[in-house]
Amino acid sequence: MPSSLLIDSLVRSLQVGSLYALMALGITLTMSVIRLPNFAHAEYITVGGYTALLVSFGLSNNPLVVLSLSFIVAALVALVSHYAVFRPMEKQNTSTYTMLLASFAVGLILRYIIFLLVDRFELFDKRIQVPLEIWYRNNPLILTNIFFWVVASSIGLVIFLSLLLNRTPLGREMRALANNLELAKVIGIRVSRVKNLTWLLVGGLAGLAGALWGMYSTVSPLMGWFAILSVFAAAILGGMSSFPGTIMGAYLVSFSENTVMQFLNYYLGVDFNFKPAIPFIIIVLVLMLRPQGFTGFFDTARGLRR
Amino acid sequence: MKKSFFLVFCIVLCMLVSFQVVAQDDVETVVLGVAQPFTGPLGSFGTDFSKGIELAVEQMNAELESAGVNTRFEIASQDTEGTPEGAARAVQTIVQTTGAQVIVGPLTTSEVLGVKQFADDNNIVIVAPASSGLPGAIPDDNIFRVMYPPDNFAAKAFAEIATLRGYENIAILHMDDPFGNGLAEQFTADFTAAGGSEVITISYAPDPVDLASEATSLSAEVSTLTGQGSTAVFCICFLADAQKLLQVAIVDPVLSSTEWMGIENLANPELLADAAHADFLRNANFISVSFTDRGTPLAAEFVESFTEKFGAEPGPFTNYAFDAANIAMLSILIAGNDGEAVSEILPFVSNHYIGTAVQAYLDDNGDQAIAFYGIYEVSPDAPEFTLVGTYDGSSGELEIAE
Repeated sequence: MPSSLLIDSLVRSLQVGSLYALMALGITLTMSVIRLPNFAHAEYITVGGYTALLVSFGLSNNPLVVLSLSFIVAALVALVSHYAVFRPMEKQNTSTYTMLLASFAVGLILRYIIFLLVDRFELFDKRIQVPLEIWYRNNPLILTNIFFWVVASSIGLVIFLSLLLNRTPLGREMRALANNLELAKVIGIRVSRVKNLTWLLVGGLAGLAGALWGMYSTVSPLMGWFAILSVFAAAILGGMSSFPGTIMGAYLVSFSENTVMQFLNYYLGVDFNFKPAIPFIIIVLVLMLRPQGFTGFFDTARGLRR
Repeated sequence: MKKSFFLVFCIVLCMLVSFQVVAQDDVETVVLGVAQPFTGPLGSFGTDFSKGIELAVEQMNAELESAGVNTRFEIASQDTEGTPEGAARAVQTIVQTTGAQVIVGPLTTSEVLGVKQFADDNNIVIVAPASSGLPGAIPDDNIFRVMYPPDNFAAKAFAEIATLRGYENIAILHMDDPFGNGLAEQFTADFTAAGGSEVITISYAPDPVDLASEATSLSAEVSTLTGQGSTAVFCICFLADAQKLLQVAIVDPVLSSTEWMGIENLANPELLADAAHADFLRNANFISVSFTDRGTPLAAEFVESFTEKFGAEPGPFTNYAFDAANIAMLSILIAGNDGEAVSEILPFVSNHYIGTAVQAYLDDNGDQAIAFYGIYEVSPDAPEFTLVGTYDGSSGELEIAE
């Protein structure tokens, strides 16, 4: 296999994996703290993408401004969906299954509102106006500004999340909620406040990922929906509760979709049409062979070393 | 007194209502089905097409009323979601809930093929304004692709352009659906028949998340072919897919030093809205072939009426939907609201119809037989496409001002 193909696919795996990690961390956070597999997450990603588009057209094409506003708007949309739908349902002790269905409904409502607005303001087939630049070139290795934004944002946010969860009172409260909701209430944790902040964080992460995805690819009303399968595959690989596992899962999914697919195409002539099947295969294999995903994997490895 | 006044009032009211009922009973309402993608990647086309159809129905109803004809058309729309399954569901829903016998739409060839079985089995007439994929060229069915010619003409045009430009090899990136597969196949046949050497094809599944892997493979293939002779890229993609492809191509040293051809979806000003993409296509000597209508007196009227009604100019090919709706309605008015009868009369109506675009003259497959194309390149001075030549599908004559 030519080195250019290999290097390109590895760069892409890293870039897309970082995007999947950003998207999947939000799902893992929702699952662990809120205990809800939230399918509306796809639409938070799309909201971030379109916010980035509108900001780049109307306000500024400075990536910092674009990304910040995408984070804020998507965070607010997530909070509104929590207040409007999920919180009232939680108060009625609705089952997780029903909440899951509600998340589908919320996602569909958001999606078709987006479609309405995109049609009304003719935003189909528009691109985020953040210019693509080559920041590093050493043929065949070519790295663009988007690559650095994506990878740096992902690493930065992972570190931020890690610090938040492990070193701050809010993080401790989130982990307490994730471990035992009833006990958390008993010891005086303001559950409502923690959940609100969690929703803001989840929405913001998704919005940021949507903005970066839009810069990497294009913006469309279905961009979040098309990515969500790969994102859920990454979260399932992470056991839906382990952050390191989710990150590893994201890169594994991306590696499979890009580098492995490139190998399959080059050596076995497998068409790229097969690529959408890869996240499905990963989900099925994980659920069959190791349903808990990478959860406990890192602890086990540390234990083995001792 | 009050009682008798009230009684008279009731009698008069009943008479007025009964006159109204009688008047309504005289008007025959015919449902015209509209199956278009309102959501999905083609949502922008579908919503614009349905507006064009709505305008056609409104104008037809006004003319019928003015002429004292007691037939009125009513639209029943469903979203095809841009997929064959969605199209089949949409058409079935329209027919089963409203009894419509004639459907304007769907948009793409894969959607049209998705509804074919149901349409043929139930004598439902499909009037598709913009489908052009070669797999849809089927005789003796209920599908009429009235405006946009089938892609064998476009394939030949591209093959002639490629030969004229001296390309020996072509690397095609195409979507894996009836339209993309058909055009890639036909082009390959025409190009190799005209003396071309090698054609390699890379396909991708519709609605891709990104095209980075495919672009990398395309680059590798072009690199190999370039060593064997003059090579160009032929992109058979929808606009959104092309935008994804260009994001990767503009930083790829091989793809950015190769010449490109692209189908008419790419001859879209939106593709040039990004300055980097515009520069790339300019440097790639990008050329596209697009079905061109010669323009009729109705064209300007249509644009004016559409803009007045909807507050914005019609999008690309919306006038085809307008014309397709008129052909459908005229056929119904002549033959009645019966699918079998409409299917018999529609070719005659279409062959005698000149709307906003061009005469809708159908071949034996029920497809548009008139194929006149414009050839477009990126202007050297501005981010826009300019007409540089023409191709007449009937005579095979190609003229380019290079």
